[in-house]
Amino acid sequence: MKKTELFEPGLTERLSREREKDWRKNLRREISAQKRLTIPRHKMPEQPPAQRIRNFLEVNLGYSLEMAKEEAQRCLDCGNPGCVAGCPVAIDIPTFIKYIEAGELDKALDKIRETNGLPAICGRVCPQEVQCEKNCNLVKAGKEPVAIGHLERFVADYLSLRSELNIEPGCVNSSRGKIAVVGSGPSGLTVAADLARLGYQVTVFEALHVPGGVLAYGIPEFRLPREILHSEINFIRSLGVEIKTNFIVGKTASPSDLREAGYSAFFLGTGAGLPGFMNIPGENLLGVYSANEYLTRVNLMKAFRFPDFDTPAPAARKVAVIGGGNVAMDAVRTALRLGAAEAVIYYRRSRAEMPARVEEIRHAEEEGVVFNFLTVPVRFLGDEKGRLRGMVLQRLTLGEPDASGRPRPVPVPGSEFEVEVDLAVVAIGQSPNPLLVKQVDGLKLGRWGNVEVDSETMASSLPGVYAGGDAVRGGATVILAMGDGRRAAKAIDKFLRKC
Amino acid sequence: MNRIILNERLVPNIFHLVVEAPEIASSARPGQFVMVIPDEKGERIPLNVADWDKSKGTIDLVFMNLGVSTRKLAGFKTGDFLEGVAGPLGRPAEVVDFGQVLLVGGCYGLAGLYPLARELKERGNQILFLAEARSRAYIYWENRIRKVTDEFLTAFRADCFSSDKDLEEIILGLKSWKPQLSRVVVMGCSYLLFTVSEITRKIGLKTRVNLNPLMVDGTGMCGACRVTVHGKTYFACVDGPEFDGHGVDWQEYFSRRKAFLSQEELALVHLVKKLDSQE
Repeated sequence: MKKTELFEPGLTERLSREREKDWRKNLRREISAQKRLTIPRHKMPEQPPAQRIRNFLEVNLGYSLEMAKEEAQRCLDCGNPGCVAGCPVAIDIPTFIKYIEAGELDKALDKIRETNGLPAICGRVCPQEVQCEKNCNLVKAGKEPVAIGHLERFVADYLSLRSELNIEPGCVNSSRGKIAVVGSGPSGLTVAADLARLGYQVTVFEALHVPGGVLAYGIPEFRLPREILHSEINFIRSLGVEIKTNFIVGKTASPSDLREAGYSAFFLGTGAGLPGFMNIPGENLLGVYSANEYLTRVNLMKAFRFPDFDTPAPAARKVAVIGGGNVAMDAVRTALRLGAAEAVIYYRRSRAEMPARVEEIRHAEEEGVVFNFLTVPVRFLGDEKGRLRGMVLQRLTLGEPDASGRPRPVPVPGSEFEVEVDLAVVAIGQSPNPLLVKQVDGLKLGRWGNVEVDSETMASSLPGVYAGGDAVRGGATVILAMGDGRRAAKAIDKFLRKC
Repeated sequence: MNRIILNERLVPNIFHLVVEAPEIASSARPGQFVMVIPDEKGERIPLNVADWDKSKGTIDLVFMNLGVSTRKLAGFKTGDFLEGVAGPLGRPAEVVDFGQVLLVGGCYGLAGLYPLARELKERGNQILFLAEARSRAYIYWENRIRKVTDEFLTAFRADCFSSDKDLEEIILGLKSWKPQLSRVVVMGCSYLLFTVSEITRKIGLKTRVNLNPLMVDGTGMCGACRVTVHGKTYFACVDGPEFDGHGVDWQEYFSRRKAFLSQEELALVHLVKKLDSQE
């Protein structure tokens, strides 16, 4: 519980106060725990693999109301909800689930939104299996955990048509101070929403022409439909947050220009936009792409609708994706949907070390993606026109754990072999986008160009300047970025009250 | 959304847009570019900033009508809106006391080099401007450029593949005429950048080329614009767009620019058909 109390003192008391309300007690009594334990976890309805690799529609179709209510009944409403402790933004999970069981969906959504401004997104992209669901007490009873992510998504989607809830947007008061949030990804949107609710005037500056950051350029539509993203962003706008697109802080205006324009606190949520390459021969051949470019073309620029949309994506028959994270899964599944006959993952460790969400790996396998573990490319091969025609790979074995705690891949001498490919996507990770942070005088950066912050307040080395998300962490998750945003909002509020 | 204040054809196939973009107008520097998104289905394409007016809050863009995006841009009317303009991007060109500087511009580069000429001139440099085009009919902004330069020269070539002899003679002649000449900056079609670099390499004359590779975001996030200079990979959008012409891997540069040629043709056909059916 310690971690969550970091940003919310008294959480435990609040959870148990909610739990002791009469309606909760009654609901617990309605169905016995014994009976609840017999209900099997509801599988997420999905598009069948053969169908979905022909389209960019969402793979997961979502629960029906009945399924959601039944899944909610599986939750024992236990007295020590481990799920909340596993959630980086400490959503009151038992309360929202019990509201679903009681059929009070409005209240369920309001409860989630108390601590999470982007529930439809988190329900889709959070790695629940290592967070809330990992700590579910059903697991201890030898059962599958409650499908918390699916339920969160259900509530958000079910009510997405309902106009703006019980939030009062009229409370923005410019005399409380103007705040500049740089970047409209998950951390920036969260800090903006929290501060707007506290009455601050918040402007979010986005370099691209569409808000959402990695949610817009990185995550494919088959995982996160854009209508969902837009409605979540509209919700944040409805709180009084202004989002300025096509505005590159550090280029269009400098931070000192913004200070002169009256912004008294800054949050840098500039993300991990710098694509990593392997620095091996042939990497600049035609046909070798960073995952960022490949996914940006398809997701942000909608290349999957080319030529109706103007931006093309590379056409390819044999696609190799290098990496084992969510970005690699997104890229390889995108390649299939764009018509690849063969889509292969090359990952330098083994299956157990793959950082991708379990669901993404399963979906990729179902769709026919081939996985090659313990292999790494050592050079790309081109034809006389500079086009990629193949690559040379090397086998690896796992050695002693490295700094990340994972076993270090060790090359096997003489194990090189060649494969034919006409498109290679490099998805080995991103580092913080240097464009802004490198030109702010006095801003302390870490080894990877990440902004150094106090982990409790997200305060940087400069007074009034805060940072969070991938700009601080490198490539992490949406929900961790949102947790950073929440902590930063609290600290910024405190900072400005003293000013 | 950015309002178009003026759209004029300068010479056959080269257009001049004046666009409302007050923040960019107050921060633009010579040698920088903006990412332009013509409409909601459009690409993001880099265009050099050819001029700006801080007081009016406008920027000038000059481009050749070549593919889908520039064709869309050429078709806009005064009062229409662009989907978006973002910038200014890239590192500005260096403006210090060089003494004598030769600027070689072709195509959109005549306009693209104009602000650099003006600022270098204001710094007290002597500016020689060499405009390269197919014929005199393709030269624009001559009077405007003459006002901020000391010499205005021209080199005409019937087509890209004809001899570079004229260009070579002019540049080598210039060097003996102006022995103090220490720096060349080139902007225009890839072939011009390459040709001038090869000519000046022979006489060891420092040459900066303003590269124009394919880009997607233009802010350093995708690496589409990778170029190799002196054996090292750079992102032209954030590390450039100006580089040492004698270090550029030209073969790679030419090949990477053609990465989407077949799709670009397809897109153009698609657009033309759509425009035809609307008529």
